[in-house]
Amino acid sequence: MEALQHPDQLIRFLDEHKYVADEELVTSLFLLLKLHKPLLLEGPPGVGKTEAALVLSQWLDTKLIRLQCYEGLDINAAVYEWNYQKQLLGIRLQENSGLSVEEKEHHIFSNEYLLKRPLLQAITETEKPPVLLIDELDRSDEEFEAFLLELLSAFQITIPELGTIKAVHKPYVILTSNRTRELSDALKRRCLYHWIDYPGLETEMQIVRKRLPGIEQQLLEQVVQYVQAFRQRKLAKTPGVSETIDWAESLMALGYREVNRQAMEQTLGSILKSTEDISLLKTEWEDLLTTT
Amino acid sequence: MIKQQAYQTSSLSEGIVAFAQFARSHGLHVGIQETQDALQAASLGLLDDRNLFRQSLKALFCTSPEERQVFEKLFVLFWDTNPTDLEERKGKATVQGSFNKKANASLVMLGMGKSDAPEEEAKNVSGANQQERLKKTDLSKLNEMESEELEAIARKLCRQMAVRMRRRMKQHRRLGQLNLRRTIRRSIAFGGEPLDLYFRMQTPKKQRLIVMLDVSGSMDKYSYFLLRFICALRENFRQLEAFVFSTSLKRITKALQPQRLDMVLQTLSEQADNWSSGTRIGECLQHFNDKYGKRMLNGSPVVLVLSDGLDTGDAAVLGAELRRIQQRSKRLIWLNPLKGMQGYQPLARGMQAALPSIDDFRSAHNLESLLELENLLANA
Repeated sequence: MEALQHPDQLIRFLDEHKYVADEELVTSLFLLLKLHKPLLLEGPPGVGKTEAALVLSQWLDTKLIRLQCYEGLDINAAVYEWNYQKQLLGIRLQENSGLSVEEKEHHIFSNEYLLKRPLLQAITETEKPPVLLIDELDRSDEEFEAFLLELLSAFQITIPELGTIKAVHKPYVILTSNRTRELSDALKRRCLYHWIDYPGLETEMQIVRKRLPGIEQQLLEQVVQYVQAFRQRKLAKTPGVSETIDWAESLMALGYREVNRQAMEQTLGSILKSTEDISLLKTEWEDLLTTT
Repeated sequence: MIKQQAYQTSSLSEGIVAFAQFARSHGLHVGIQETQDALQAASLGLLDDRNLFRQSLKALFCTSPEERQVFEKLFVLFWDTNPTDLEERKGKATVQGSFNKKANASLVMLGMGKSDAPEEEAKNVSGANQQERLKKTDLSKLNEMESEELEAIARKLCRQMAVRMRRRMKQHRRLGQLNLRRTIRRSIAFGGEPLDLYFRMQTPKKQRLIVMLDVSGSMDKYSYFLLRFICALRENFRQLEAFVFSTSLKRITKALQPQRLDMVLQTLSEQADNWSSGTRIGECLQHFNDKYGKRMLNGSPVVLVLSDGLDTGDAAVLGAELRRIQQRSKRLIWLNPLKGMQGYQPLARGMQAALPSIDDFRSAHNLESLLELENLLANA
């Protein structure tokens, strides 16, 4: 990694690593690195939010630590947990050691018995600051969001039995959200914010070509045009860029060189993920095939 | 005084600070921290390039796609205004109007224009009989005096209701998962034998509630109280989203605070015609589904619709959209003030179309019927 002076360096790097980013996103990433503030990326599913974190960790040549959020995510799964089985064994082994209860307790609540979950892992990383990706934060409960506030501002975690653990290196934090619910203002205020939208025609073609260098121009154009047309419809599940890539890939795997009726019917499952959408578009088949 | 344009400031730092104030005055959440960060970003050499500068400030100042749009306008307005063409610009639309934060305040005008503050306690309630009578009185048949009294009663009862519902939730708690951590810690004294088991308490899941209130002309007499009622509900359901609709749908969640409610109620709106013209329930529900559905209907909330079902739009749309909502909600409750009338039959076209998707169809014509909702919501 060269010393970062200007966002342009990042653009070049991302480009080399098959990530097509618009300038705004790059500026946000640049600020994330320079100001050391967490970056909140919002946007529809499949536009490369998670990928951005991955690429950033490659740029920094550091570890990517990922925490996938879900409803009911709690401290035990996100921060740390005691290794209960090992603790039970530990107590057994000490049975005849003549240690006092306090000493035994001190022993089984030591680092040896601690299972580090992503968040604790991220702040105890010793070599260099890792990239911490907190994915799909909107799926977690509000309680967890409130807990994050503390972590994101102080970068320390308190474990009652051990005391407070301070970050050796402040991790670079990227949070992503699909906006299925509004995140709290308090959290947003601690973060830089960027909204990633579906890319335009040109950009999307660029992305697909980057990912699938072997794709033929005609197929590429057709695929992207169709997807862009699909997005204009009111679908239950709007396809993202990752679906576009999947679709193009499956078409290529089946040896199609253009999108025709048969190709559509065979591969539609990789772009449209709901039966209603498929049946809706099947009725408008003819129009689509003739207009584009 | 807030400087409105960049040319009024003498240095770049001053410009940034002024811009932060300018943005704040237009509803963006820009605090001292953000301003500091902006200055720091400026010192990183992000200034040479105008685009970079704009993007940096955008990442720092905005917290939602809507705010990002507003920001673009504000940025141009602040940095690009030339003193010479200021005269022309003055007449142009300000950004303020387009930002929904402010729009919320300019909501409502209902049948009763009340001026006195609602803070007074329930002092002039004259005995139990009167109370009981008022509770049963149809909301549309109240006079000014009575409505004040009823409001006081309502506030008291709603508060009690909120407390009761919370208590009920606590009693519902059962033993949850085994708390391994504590169990093991306490077992040390017994040589690792987990003699005492400790459990993790099951925290009651907070039910989310979405309320949609019909404020069209036909509901005029009721909407005032119903709005108050929603406000009382909010004290119990912290995660409550509220909407009003008639010809169009409007989100009022943020305006829905007891101290702001009177302001909401009294602010004469430019959209006052909403309140008296026809109702397009179907279209409003469609708007809800398209714009908010994804975000708000996750995790199966309870949906409460307060409407008389007199629809001037397409009944088929109403039916289909309501079904979509019902499929994603835990329970769809429809409260219809007309149902309290003797001999009422849900014959209106809109009501007919809606009925198949409704889980609970209730009346909402007096306070008592509203309070019955407690049982429904507590068991939801």
